[in-house]
Amino acid sequence: MTTLTVTINGRSYGPTEVRDELTMNDYLREYLGLTGTKFGCGAAQCLSCAVIVDNPDGSSYTSPTCIVPATSFNGKSIRTVEGHAKNGELTVLQKAFIEHFAFQCGYCTAGFLNEGQVLLDRLARKRVPRADLEKTIAEALDGHLCRCAGYAKYHEAVRDVILADPQRYLL
Amino acid sequence: MKSEPRTKTTVLTFTALLATLISIHAASGAAADMLATPESFAAIADTAARSAALFTEAGKVLTHPRCMNCHPAGDRPRQGDVQRLHQPPVARGEDGFGLPAMRCQICHQAANFEPAGVPGNPAWHLAPHEMGWEGKTLAQICEQIKDPARNGGRSLEDIVHHVGEDHLVGWAWAPGGDRTPAPGTQAQAGALLDAWVKTGAVCPN
Amino acid sequence: MGTSRRDFVKLLTSSGIALSVSRLALAEQPDFAAREILPGRQAWNPAATGAGRIDGVAKVTGSKLYASDFRAADLPGWPAKTSHAMLIRATDAMHIYDGIDLSRLSGALKPSVVVTAEDLARIGTRVPEFFAGDLFCPLRKTPLYLGQPIALLIFEDFDVFDQARFALRDATIVKYGEETGAITRPPYAAFRFTRVAGATPEAPDVYSPFKNGWVSPGKFKDTGHPIWERLPLPTGQEYAEAAGYGEDIRAELAADNPARLVLERQFETQSVDPMFLEPESALAWYEPGRKSLELVVGVQSPYDTAESVAFLLGAAEAAHKPARINMQFAYMGGGFGGRDHTPFPLYVALAGMFFPGRPVRLANNRYEQFQSGIKRHAVSMHTRMGVDRATGKIFAFAADHVLHAGGLSNFSPHVATVGAVAALGVYYAPKVDVTTVSLPSRAVTAGSMRGYGTLQPMTALEVLVDEMCTALPLDPIEFRRRNALKPGERRMTGNTYSVSIRTPEILDKLEQHSIWRDRAAEKARGREAGILVGTGVACVTKNYGTGADCSLAAVEIDPQGRIAIRFDETEIGNAVGTAVANRVANYLGGVADEIALAQTEAFTPLALVRSGDPHTIDQKTQDTAARNPRWVPETFSATAASTGAHVGTHAAAEAARVIFRFGLWPTALELWRIAPNDPRAAQWQAARWKDGQLTAPSLPPLALADIAARAHTRNGITGAMAHSFNRWAWSQADFKIDGQNWTAEIDALALRRGAGKFVRLDRANVKFPPTTLNQSGPTYTAQCGTLVRVEIDRGTGALRIAKGYSVLECGNALVPQVVIGQAQGGFAMGVGQALLETLPLYEDGPGNGKWTLGQYVVARGSDLPLRDLEIEVLPPVDADERPKGIGEVVMIPVVAALVNAIFDATGHRFRALPVTQAMIKGVLT
Repeated sequence: MTTLTVTINGRSYGPTEVRDELTMNDYLREYLGLTGTKFGCGAAQCLSCAVIVDNPDGSSYTSPTCIVPATSFNGKSIRTVEGHAKNGELTVLQKAFIEHFAFQCGYCTAGFLNEGQVLLDRLARKRVPRADLEKTIAEALDGHLCRCAGYAKYHEAVRDVILADPQRYLL
Repeated sequence: MKSEPRTKTTVLTFTALLATLISIHAASGAAADMLATPESFAAIADTAARSAALFTEAGKVLTHPRCMNCHPAGDRPRQGDVQRLHQPPVARGEDGFGLPAMRCQICHQAANFEPAGVPGNPAWHLAPHEMGWEGKTLAQICEQIKDPARNGGRSLEDIVHHVGEDHLVGWAWAPGGDRTPAPGTQAQAGALLDAWVKTGAVCPN
Repeated sequence: MGTSRRDFVKLLTSSGIALSVSRLALAEQPDFAAREILPGRQAWNPAATGAGRIDGVAKVTGSKLYASDFRAADLPGWPAKTSHAMLIRATDAMHIYDGIDLSRLSGALKPSVVVTAEDLARIGTRVPEFFAGDLFCPLRKTPLYLGQPIALLIFEDFDVFDQARFALRDATIVKYGEETGAITRPPYAAFRFTRVAGATPEAPDVYSPFKNGWVSPGKFKDTGHPIWERLPLPTGQEYAEAAGYGEDIRAELAADNPARLVLERQFETQSVDPMFLEPESALAWYEPGRKSLELVVGVQSPYDTAESVAFLLGAAEAAHKPARINMQFAYMGGGFGGRDHTPFPLYVALAGMFFPGRPVRLANNRYEQFQSGIKRHAVSMHTRMGVDRATGKIFAFAADHVLHAGGLSNFSPHVATVGAVAALGVYYAPKVDVTTVSLPSRAVTAGSMRGYGTLQPMTALEVLVDEMCTALPLDPIEFRRRNALKPGERRMTGNTYSVSIRTPEILDKLEQHSIWRDRAAEKARGREAGILVGTGVACVTKNYGTGADCSLAAVEIDPQGRIAIRFDETEIGNAVGTAVANRVANYLGGVADEIALAQTEAFTPLALVRSGDPHTIDQKTQDTAARNPRWVPETFSATAASTGAHVGTHAAAEAARVIFRFGLWPTALELWRIAPNDPRAAQWQAARWKDGQLTAPSLPPLALADIAARAHTRNGITGAMAHSFNRWAWSQADFKIDGQNWTAEIDALALRRGAGKFVRLDRANVKFPPTTLNQSGPTYTAQCGTLVRVEIDRGTGALRIAKGYSVLECGNALVPQVVIGQAQGGFAMGVGQALLETLPLYEDGPGNGKWTLGQYVVARGSDLPLRDLEIEVLPPVDADERPKGIGEVVMIPVVAALVNAIFDATGHRFRALPVTQAMIKGVLT
């Protein structure tokens, strides 16, 4: 058993005693009822379980939660899909996903949102040439499986968000 | 097993019996999951031949899936005893620790996580290109390991230390999940390479 | 509750259990229904301006929507704690099952309850016929199939459950005894479809299924296998006649005739998994005080699921028989047919009944989903096509299909027939003979999956056509053009399609596209660069509709002009809610902001009754039954068979038309001060909605909200509820509304005035589609063609899809962006079927519980030409063309196009799927 304290969407959870074998996915979904983070495969193959981990230096990365123990998130600060919109105001990326009809069943959407948001945050800190944009997006999103929609509109949505604000994201 | 040793074993103690069995077994080729001791090669008189034989035995470790999977020729690791291409499709990236969105250590924790069956070690990453062993013969791997330009600037002593004591290398013997461990033990592998170095670090043909 | 509701209830459950919705007491948090009614009045409705789906906001904010999201604590009125269940499944189907050893789960890990076959027998459960087969393998019997459940374990606490499943993961806890070999059973079904055309196109067929009836062969006594030969038996004369013609056709194909080219080929397709991203999961809570069983499930067939659970428990002993079952149906994380009629809900219902007072969750992890989820049939096909060399026209076609159906019958008989009658794809032939048989085995059950048996034969067909074109030789587009079935021509079942056939336009588009035009040049360019370049084409047609579909909807408009729709379809990702909102908006001028799907209980005012089986009922029985003004051949149907657009939205459209014609229009006339006898009063069809305003020639526009407000105050019609049945044509009836006759394609109607209740109207002159249409097979169809360009590395065999193009037609597209999205998703799934996905059938396959993603590989973005995949949707033939269902057809041609492209690149024609990199490399060396 380990004591777990984690900040989720700006709110501190814990300290809670959890088993060392408890996955982060089960901690979110069973313990906290935060089911926006999904369970798809339990093998890090689909990343519908991915959340954003925010580093103290302002950088961030996505992490699967299905194959990672909850305890490894102790002391960390994470964002889940429930934390993107603020006061009912959707993020630019959320709106783009809707307007592009990027998803169909929507089960993979939380993962894509988190990954897309991390990519935007990363590009804002280190811009890339326009010529590298599609490849950058493709590499960032390729870990995520979508069975319904065929990926194209997700990529277009992310690309269009970036192209709408080139000063921020592109060299 | 030859008949002659069996008549001897009747008068030996259990420990001696075991040692004898192992050494005899080694001389005729140890079982796949075991490593022969350096001593069991004493019967090979020619030093160069003995040196090569020692490396060949150590090669059971080097060519085992646990090692080969992360010493690929290309940019993608393999996984499992079947050595399929790693799924999800990850690539070495700039530093061998993965592309920006799929860093190795995001999934591979500091230790094996058995509930998910995912292997782990604090240093999880791919061996650099120049240390790729995939598709090479043992002789070629041997030359590669000896070559400072391709072994990270290591001396032969460093090689022995790396194989025999490095923590990430050590994972191969406790891989978790349904992954077959590398043969023998890490200490035995180190001992074999140590003996190999001391006999002139001769590569097999 | 009135008489009508009780009749309805009694109708729903001959098992004596009341199926109902009890409105859960609204607590601080929204109840299930409120969560699932989207987008909701307080939320942004992207669909209102065509800017997105009604479920868009819910899905991007991680709102609880899917069955797997819910725990007891989320459901007002439920106990707060969720317990968890798991199924132990057999991984051996060749030995006697000899008990389970749960000693690993001792002490703290002990399950609270263990349910086995013996428990089910004790309490008196019944297995619905559709799922025939032991729900749990009884002790001392050989499991029927790999993955057959053996026991249900229920754990009070999640942590105990979690530790237990880990403890059991690598353990062999199921004991097996003597070897018996696999259980053998006779085929699930066998059919023969034979057609011989008359001497001229206008002449009646000499023989056809439509004309002469559907036939099945006799069976060998000992094995139950079909006897395909024509035998001079006194019984089975009907079959003998078909077989006689069939044998003649095959003899003609076998004859040596230099003027003709006959190709005979075997093609094998593999077992695949729908791999919807959300594994099956559900909640159950049995409250013993009120004897009510509450269930939360995500299924494509809600009504059938409710009936099945009622049947399961309908004859159980008192302590295990609920008095009422309340089922709530959630959005699904994908379906693809794999959530249609699965046994999963039966097990969660049992979990609830065996753990009274405590909510239980049953949820597959991905290993379990692979182990137990419905698969696409692996099919072996032997096909013969004969072409007249001079004309390039098919003179005869014969095929034999063997479907590997696995452990339970499920939809296999129906899948076999749909696949058989699709064997000729888009083509016409005057002589066709197709046999099909569906074989049980110990493999995981195969059933409904996107394509429903047609993907396999149409892939084999399009590859055979490609080979035929090479052999003749004849240009592949020209061959297709010459042989394409024309409107009015009879299909192999002997009937004609009743909708548009756009094959010539599809073929023109394929021929004109640069991928096709540039194929030789690209191949040459590849040669110079040392890569193998190939181009492939395929063109298919897929029926939508099942021949016994229903549409049910209630549409209401409130005094503010806000529209609410309740209907029976479920959402698997196909955006059916958005589609219905759009279709209703055509008539009512506004996009609904409250859409409730999967409603099985909302339609009690219609007081529908049903009897018989709509697929097999005879005309006389149907006519007699129809005299009851509340009788319909079927009340509900599943979300399947690409029915969302055409079927799912129909009743809502009809209800909306009634509201407009008899509610909003008369109100508008009042507001315009137009008298009833004014000629303009009859011009309701000329009126148009524009930006929420009703416009008519020479009249000032009226805002929807104003009309609605007035409609309420004058107690006009503000709501309509309708049902319709479709057997390749909609039912039709007359209704008297406000003194006028209204003929519509519905068979039941209820109306609401002002804020009142729905009141049923009697129908007159109801015309249900004739029962002879049951013999026609599908008459609704949609076409799709695909081009692909592939580049293959000579050394490794690695294949890259450089370009893709799919062109399809769907009548009037209700949500155009979703049509394109479906085609993109279908392309990805087709790539998986062609190149990546495969499951061994038996001990090495997913029935062993060891398969998950990673071993099973589905297409990722990097496998697809994301920036070079073009989707084109043909405009409808005219403004009035109905929507067509395309959810399945968009996947099918991709597979053969890839196989044909690989041939073009390598010279090797593969006749088994998938075609992997290793296989390609193997033929290049």
